[in-house]
Amino acid sequence: MTDRTSKIGTIADAVALIPDGTRLAIGGFAIYQHPMAVVRELIRAGRKDLTVVGTVNGNEVDLLAGAGCLAKVETSYVGLEKFGLAPNFRRAIERGTLEVVDYSEILSFDRFRASQENLSFWPCDYLGGTDVLTHNKDIKPFTCPLTGRAMHAVPPADPDVVVIHAVAADRHGNVILPQRHLLPQSLDVIMARGCDTVIVTAETIVSDAEIRRHAAQVQIPSYKTTLVVEAPWGAHPCSVLGRYRADDAHFAEYIAASASADGFQRYIDRYVHGPADHMAYLALVGIKQLTSLTEIDRL
Amino acid sequence: MSDHSKSPTDAPSIAEIITVNLARSFKNGEVGFTGLVTGGAAALYGTSMPLAAMSLAQAMHAPDLTILLAGWSHNPDLRSLDVMPDSEFDAVLRDLPCEAQMISYPGQWAIKRGDIDFGFSSGVQVDAVGNVNTVCVGDYRKPKVRLVGPILLPEHMTLFGREYVMMPHHARRNFVRRVDYVSGVGYPGGMEGRAKLGLTHGGPEWVVTPKCIFDFDKRVGSIRLKSIHHGASLSDINENHDFGLTFAQAETTPMPTAEELDLLRNHVDPKGVLLGRR
Repeated sequence: MTDRTSKIGTIADAVALIPDGTRLAIGGFAIYQHPMAVVRELIRAGRKDLTVVGTVNGNEVDLLAGAGCLAKVETSYVGLEKFGLAPNFRRAIERGTLEVVDYSEILSFDRFRASQENLSFWPCDYLGGTDVLTHNKDIKPFTCPLTGRAMHAVPPADPDVVVIHAVAADRHGNVILPQRHLLPQSLDVIMARGCDTVIVTAETIVSDAEIRRHAAQVQIPSYKTTLVVEAPWGAHPCSVLGRYRADDAHFAEYIAASASADGFQRYIDRYVHGPADHMAYLALVGIKQLTSLTEIDRL
Repeated sequence: MSDHSKSPTDAPSIAEIITVNLARSFKNGEVGFTGLVTGGAAALYGTSMPLAAMSLAQAMHAPDLTILLAGWSHNPDLRSLDVMPDSEFDAVLRDLPCEAQMISYPGQWAIKRGDIDFGFSSGVQVDAVGNVNTVCVGDYRKPKVRLVGPILLPEHMTLFGREYVMMPHHARRNFVRRVDYVSGVGYPGGMEGRAKLGLTHGGPEWVVTPKCIFDFDKRVGSIRLKSIHHGASLSDINENHDFGLTFAQAETTPMPTAEELDLLRNHVDPKGVLLGRR
């Protein structure tokens, strides 16, 4: 008998799979369930020239933009929902130090569907007249060979690496999508299915038996997963649906600090460069604050 | 303690007048889509008035209308709310009782087949042909202000049957001759112009502001002043846009009936969660 391979690694192992210049898709949506432990480690490691290809992005892109890790973002939205505009992303765009390639929201989803289907483009018939076409030169016009209709070919997302944050996975890389999930969690699954290098951070690594009890919810099977990392509170300050709420106080501190580039630098000195790793970050945030965010799911 | 109930003879607020006029424009059986906009006037215009209007229409003439809150919660039980939710995908909205939850994409609605009859959106600028901008102020490559991005605006203005553009502030800088970025397309060159762009469906129907409602001469593709709300004046409107045209006249936005006000205040929004405490 040969033992089955364990895909368990560390957050540093995850970042080693994401070298400078990587075309990276980061799971989560707006201000929800981003793999923030990995995002912070990318900054600690001094990553440069990353392209983030996304759907609806938020504080994860804002943090990377402020820390100078990004060359380009391809997305439909970068913002912080109820917390307003993304201050560091905005500053980088206005200074001309970051390129953004704009897509519409549904197309930003469809680009990952194209990757899942291994298509060279996704067809679209409703972009005429928008400035998406004016500025996004990756989208090309074509004529439908069956109907003669004028259409546009939208490039697939095609990330080099996908990193998502899940509630639970096993050591082999089976990942559970909770029954009570919402759109952001389902988009993570589409992302993961369309890429050959998939990193999953999970709140908890569960036993093989636990996975078998939730077989219908294992929407990312082990062979799709490259690396699994246990990262409790790994999305903080974002929420993880069914586990904990967003840390609104931390978001407010982040927004206030990000009013200036200097203030943002003090924020990352304190919360990113200060703690040596994710566990030190959690200790800094503090058990009182973290436990106050715990959500009780259906009992 | 404030008394939230108010006699239907009390003068209606601007929010109530807008809500009632929106409600009257919806047809039975339609599907209406609103996002979850947060913060003060933006939330009122972007989410709360649309929800109140759709609920009122259900209570009046459109019992089969479907409300899509945050685009995904079908016919949510709004009367069970004590405060408006402020997050599209957290546990609060997940736990709000509703008829159907769209929890994946693609999901229940076939957006590209025209399942959604009307939607509500907003932007930093609207122009004279009805284009809407959510991307930047100033030059695209070196903007004065970078905003969030195109988001769902391209879809709102082409795949939905019609669009209500909800503008929470009526200032000259928001109503321009030509937007700095076209996120959602209006009627450049009129209906013929839209057809040349390959657009055969949808487009802006009204632009709703705290002062007035604009609509469009869709044939020529030009914004028009449809009606002025009680308390605003024609000069007030003309001084606060930069469309490059002058409006000569407009009717007053029709007032709610006593029945509509009663339903709105005592059935749709008894706690004042949507349109504010009175």
